[in-house]
Amino acid sequence: MHHLRDKYAIAGTGKSRLGQVGLNSLALLEEAIHNALDDAGLTARDVDGLVVRGPDDVYSHHQVIAQRLGMDMNFSTSLDNGGASQILSVILAVMAIDAGLATTVVCGYGRDSWTRTHSNETSRMQGNLVPSSQRPREHGPEFGHFGAVSHHAFGARRHMFEYGTTREDFAHIAMAFREHALRNPEAQMKKPLSFEDYMNGRLIVDPFGLYDCSLNSDGAGAVVVTSAARAKDLKQKPVLIKGFATHNNTKGFIAEDHMLVTGAKKSGERAYAMAGLGPKDINTAQIYDCFTYMVMAQLEDYGFCKKGEGAAFVRSGALRLNGSLPTNTSGGQLSEAHVEGMLQIVEGARQLQGIYDATRQVPNAEVALVSGHGGNQVCHSTLILGRA
Amino acid sequence: MLDYKKPVPVPSDESSPYWAGLKQHRLVMPHCDDCDGYWFPPSQYCQHCSSKNWEWKDVSGKGRIFSFVVYHRVYHPGFAGEVPYAVAVIALDEGPRMLSNIVGIAPDKLVCDTPVEIVYDDITPEMTIPKFRVV
Repeated sequence: MHHLRDKYAIAGTGKSRLGQVGLNSLALLEEAIHNALDDAGLTARDVDGLVVRGPDDVYSHHQVIAQRLGMDMNFSTSLDNGGASQILSVILAVMAIDAGLATTVVCGYGRDSWTRTHSNETSRMQGNLVPSSQRPREHGPEFGHFGAVSHHAFGARRHMFEYGTTREDFAHIAMAFREHALRNPEAQMKKPLSFEDYMNGRLIVDPFGLYDCSLNSDGAGAVVVTSAARAKDLKQKPVLIKGFATHNNTKGFIAEDHMLVTGAKKSGERAYAMAGLGPKDINTAQIYDCFTYMVMAQLEDYGFCKKGEGAAFVRSGALRLNGSLPTNTSGGQLSEAHVEGMLQIVEGARQLQGIYDATRQVPNAEVALVSGHGGNQVCHSTLILGRA
Repeated sequence: MLDYKKPVPVPSDESSPYWAGLKQHRLVMPHCDDCDGYWFPPSQYCQHCSSKNWEWKDVSGKGRIFSFVVYHRVYHPGFAGEVPYAVAVIALDEGPRMLSNIVGIAPDKLVCDTPVEIVYDDITPEMTIPKFRVV
């Protein structure tokens, strides 16, 4: 048995307001952290560690957040693995506590991308999410190639070519998550999404249309990580950290078969091994859904179906709340809010706490798998959580 | 050409030989004398065997469309009149993959794995960029 399995726990979860909030990312994260601490029955005075996703636009993010909390930290840092950073922050929290560097670590991320992409016409055209100094200056922009939508769309196209997958198949992912969002009062998207709505959505970068793309959201999420022994004595029902792993396809998304086999494959295998579990043991999945296709690729890579059979799997209704693998039960980044995977950790934990009413709750949820993906499309992290 | 409105590549200290080759209508890639491997974009050591024993070498300019996407949204004003346009991942016969455009064909006619060859687009008096056409 892995020496860290079930030894650490998520003791509290929190979100900020989500959607079109009009508040900067630091303030949003501060709000989510205080909500997570309240949930755990703790205050900022109890926190001695802080791990946050690295700054999109603010230097030394963790220092600025810790200052807002009014706290010096025994351990704090910012991470830079894109959408894989949020699970990585939980992993690093466990490692730091296990090494004796801290006892109670807050992990979180906040972003204000709705505000940043809607402030003026230029920001709408350029998608002002990447600082200009970080944008490529050769081997891409001269061909009209910009940003994450199109890079992930390469993968969707190749999957369509190899396995006969269609946009109609991707629709079932978007529709399932929207249906979940309608059960979630915090979700940014409030209207149903029909198959016709999906197909009529304007194309952004074909094969992705409007409803294949996650939202631009203001929002934040946070979790409190501490030892399972300590968590047992706190206010909220603890959620055990059973397994985790990372794998980064750092040769690049367009290299080898990385468009089709994401980092989820190796990250998942190692996380399953740590947890002593496999895909059949997972009761709910919270999958990083920056784009519909990436959900399909990860479902295959995590072994919920075979490579190339993702289309049939999502068409079966498996992802729905009453399906065989209720997935992104909050609505995910496609319909709740896009906070780079942080809210997926929150949702996985809350489903295992069983705090929701029957309209939203995955019945008898014992084990949840959460995924994180990002960092130039190649970084991946996996978290397997269990009911205490 | 002052009226060129699209982004002009900004060569780095490491990619300058690549752009200099294109200016002469040659496609050059880093090639390892030890393992015979090619890679791109350039780096200081062979990405296959970590050898320092490498040099820029001409490649065939032939390959296939590994994948492609079709832009319907304008992300840069220089492409406002171009949508819908395709951007492709080209898998060169020698191994490296690179991004480019496919010229002379409507985006909705493109198919993965179609063979292509390079054409040189002199976008300014100083700069040539590599594009591809279906063979």
